Amino acid sequence: MASTIIGAGITIEGEVTAEEDVIIQGTLRGRLSAKESITIDQGAVVEADVDGSTAAVSGSVTGNVTAIDRVDLQNGARVVGNIKAARITIADGAQFKGHVDMDV
Amino acid sequence: MGDEAAVQTTSIASGTRVRGSVVGDGDVTIDGNVEGKLAVRGDVTVGDSGFVSSSLEAVNVTVSGGVDGELRATGHVRIAAGARVRGTLTVEGLSIEDGALVAARVECNFELPKELEGTGR
Repeated sequence: MASTIIGAGITIEGEVTAEEDVIIQGTLRGRLSAKESITIDQGAVVEADVDGSTAAVSGSVTGNVTAIDRVDLQNGARVVGNIKAARITIADGAQFKGHVDMDV
Repeated sequence: MGDEAAVQTTSIASGTRVRGSVVGDGDVTIDGNVEGKLAVRGDVTVGDSGFVSSSLEAVNVTVSGGVDGELRATGHVRIAAGARVRGTLTVEGLSIEDGALVAARVECNFELPKELEGTGR
């Protein structure tokens, strides 16, 4: 399984589309769309709408997070935007401002 | 992944496409597609399935895939067999292996030996 990893020192401005997993440790401004899982590590700064099959966030996201299966905001996550997924967890220590839509 | 001090190498997997700019510090391996600008203070490896257009700036570059556009390296560029490179190469050092396809203008940064100076620069 080949993951796309955006290292901590890298900034991408534009659109990223991936067939597999994406791990963001750096900065992304624009749009991210992955067919598989998205992991936004602690220290990452994402100013973009992201969508994947699952999303695990420990970093900062300003934008909407959409996943087919689940979105997990972990301790240290800071999300300003809407979350949409079938299952969602927001851990103690995560900061979040936006709407949650579990398609109920 | 447990990487301590080292900055994780950035890797654009095959099947991933980036449209826009990729800049920063660190080494980058490209097996997917980058359309736009790639400028890093590090080494870039364009794998067999990788493709970069239209500008690539790095320290050392190894190309086994495709590059179309302007390639600038402050270090060495190695174009391996199987690579397809088109455009302009402005480099400190260059090696092209048997089997590579290159259609580019090459500018190497070097001093002519004194005896050859004045023969048109």
